[in-house]
Amino acid sequence: MILGNYLAAATVFCLGLFTVLCRRNLVKIVMGLSLMEASTYLLLVSMAYRRGATAPVLSSPPAGQSPEQLVHGNVADPVLQNFCLTAIVIGVALTAVFLTIAVRVAQHYRSVDSRDVKALKG
Amino acid sequence: MSVAELLPLPVVIPIGSAILAPLVTKIHRRLPLIIGIGAMLGSLALLLVVATRVYSGNGQVLTHYFSAEKPVRGQVLGIAFAADPFGLTFALLAAGLGLLLLVSLLSEFGDIGERELGGLACLSQLLLAALIASALTADTVNLFVWFQVAALSSYGLTGFFLERPIALEAAFKIVVLTTIGSFAVFIGAAMLYAKNGALNFGQLHNTLDGEVSRPAIVALALLVAGFATKSGIAPFHGWLPDAHTPVPGAISALFSGLMVNLGIVAIVRLALQVYGRHSGHAILGLITGLGVGSALLGALMALAQDDLKRLLAWDTVSQMGVLLVGFASATAEGVAGATFHLVNHGLFKALLFLGAGAIVHATGVTRLSEMGGLARLRPITTAAFTVGAMSIAGVPGFNGYASLQLIHEGLHHQPAILVLALVAQVITVAALARAAYLGFYRRRAEPYQHLEAQHAGMRLSLITLGTACVALGVPPYLVVHEVARPAASILLNPAAYASGVLAGSGAVPPIALPFAYGKPGDLILTAVEIALGLLLAAAYLRIREPRPISLLRRLHTGSVNDYAAFAATGLAICAFVLIG
Repeated sequence: MILGNYLAAATVFCLGLFTVLCRRNLVKIVMGLSLMEASTYLLLVSMAYRRGATAPVLSSPPAGQSPEQLVHGNVADPVLQNFCLTAIVIGVALTAVFLTIAVRVAQHYRSVDSRDVKALKG
Repeated sequence: MSVAELLPLPVVIPIGSAILAPLVTKIHRRLPLIIGIGAMLGSLALLLVVATRVYSGNGQVLTHYFSAEKPVRGQVLGIAFAADPFGLTFALLAAGLGLLLLVSLLSEFGDIGERELGGLACLSQLLLAALIASALTADTVNLFVWFQVAALSSYGLTGFFLERPIALEAAFKIVVLTTIGSFAVFIGAAMLYAKNGALNFGQLHNTLDGEVSRPAIVALALLVAGFATKSGIAPFHGWLPDAHTPVPGAISALFSGLMVNLGIVAIVRLALQVYGRHSGHAILGLITGLGVGSALLGALMALAQDDLKRLLAWDTVSQMGVLLVGFASATAEGVAGATFHLVNHGLFKALLFLGAGAIVHATGVTRLSEMGGLARLRPITTAAFTVGAMSIAGVPGFNGYASLQLIHEGLHHQPAILVLALVAQVITVAALARAAYLGFYRRRAEPYQHLEAQHAGMRLSLITLGTACVALGVPPYLVVHEVARPAASILLNPAAYASGVLAGSGAVPPIALPFAYGKPGDLILTAVEIALGLLLAAAYLRIREPRPISLLRRLHTGSVNDYAAFAATGLAICAFVLIG
């Protein structure tokens, strides 16, 4: 059920946002952002969905269909799936940057509480 | 080889030299930055070649399709780079200013370790390449990719100088907020594609013709919120003052003079060129509101700052607001003025940040309350800072005057917005006057313990930028008519941009731009503004911090959770205004 996918994506996104807004532990904030990221994957793949569609693979079409028929017919949207892959790659890089900073903060401040990391304000 | 085929090169060259940077540093420590300076020179030269075509006549749009994937019946299959007068103006600014900033980085940090120097050169060139590319690209997801390249390199640069632990704190805040912004941009771009089946700006403009569907409106809200985060527009601005505080002057200049403009350029393109008139007045109203809010908040917070670089960073929040107000006026004067102001802001803000960086480098003091007496000790830096402050203040004869005058003229049909913009301008004058007095012109009781010598490269950059501010200030008829007017025309004629992007090239329609430098009425208004600003500065030096400003400062708690909450609220406001 595609509506269910959208609702699930929205729920996961909101859970992630809730974590970022309400949890002070820096590692939990990173996890919250990862949840938000994961919800975008679900959203993108769901938006690519078409009822009864086949995979957008044209090289060896199912029996009785030519690649041309597939292109004009019912295939899932490959562009959005491609975005999803891009998002996963970027997400990995981001999480690495995040955790590097979190580790450095823990080393410097001996704390991962965002209340202890607010020398810059006002 | 046609001129349009040159378009990828100004981006490819800095990326190539950024990849080389960590490798060649083994040969000689300073080689990465020297190669980088060469790369930016090459990039600038190529952009100038493109500029001879793009600004010719009334202006041209030149498009390059990657892998020769030409549009088929209006459907764009590949990624396209399009040079229009508006984007090219920002690309030229990024290449030219980036060149100068690399020179000052080289002179200031020529002596740090080889690995650090390689990393610094690599990150700053990646950032510059991403800025040039984001100005040229005509594709929503490609724009998102350059947004991410700029974001990742800015994270690296913010956290680069770890000797001050606040760099880590600032890096964490910029990563959290920019990441939230990037999700918004990404979901927005994907929704727009899923609904309208297009990524290319020109094709999107054509498919958005007529009634804009609700998902496309939600997508616009997400895109505006995401790019507003990148440009530090209130309430998405939490990261901006923090990220500018711990980094050296040249990096702050890179952030403030260039990087934040990426968001402005993207918002303006989406609002005016992609959605155009289809989205009605809601989007222009939203952008005006965001702009006025940032202009006032940034100016008030700048007035209250004690840290010199933080003050300048808050002023950036304010100036980005002014730019948005100008663009959102959607009049020839307002848009041309805002384009011109974008260039001017890059120049004078870079000048001010380099000046501030030079002071911090020389004295080791960052707080205005501990500075003073620098006018005698550092005449060149003082002169540079004063030129920058007078440009922001819009003193006739400096570059800020003409662009602010144009923006204010563009607001004549919205008197309430005009009054608020003038109030923000008065507060800005006061903030800069207070900084110049406290830092440079008042006497200091005891001499500085130690004054570091100033490098020649730093002096060169200060003098070049100061000269540019003055040169663009002598009645700038040429710049306004040959650069800002075509830029305004292409922004206000989205159909011309769309057909240029889809057909490979196109002409910019002519547009009337009445511009008279130094009209008596404007001069009097400017004089009153500056006098009020100076009075406000003098008054502010004598009183204790007023309660409203204390409240505003306490609202900025420094907690990353709160700043994320501001951004989430801002996103909700954007969606509410556009849908409602």
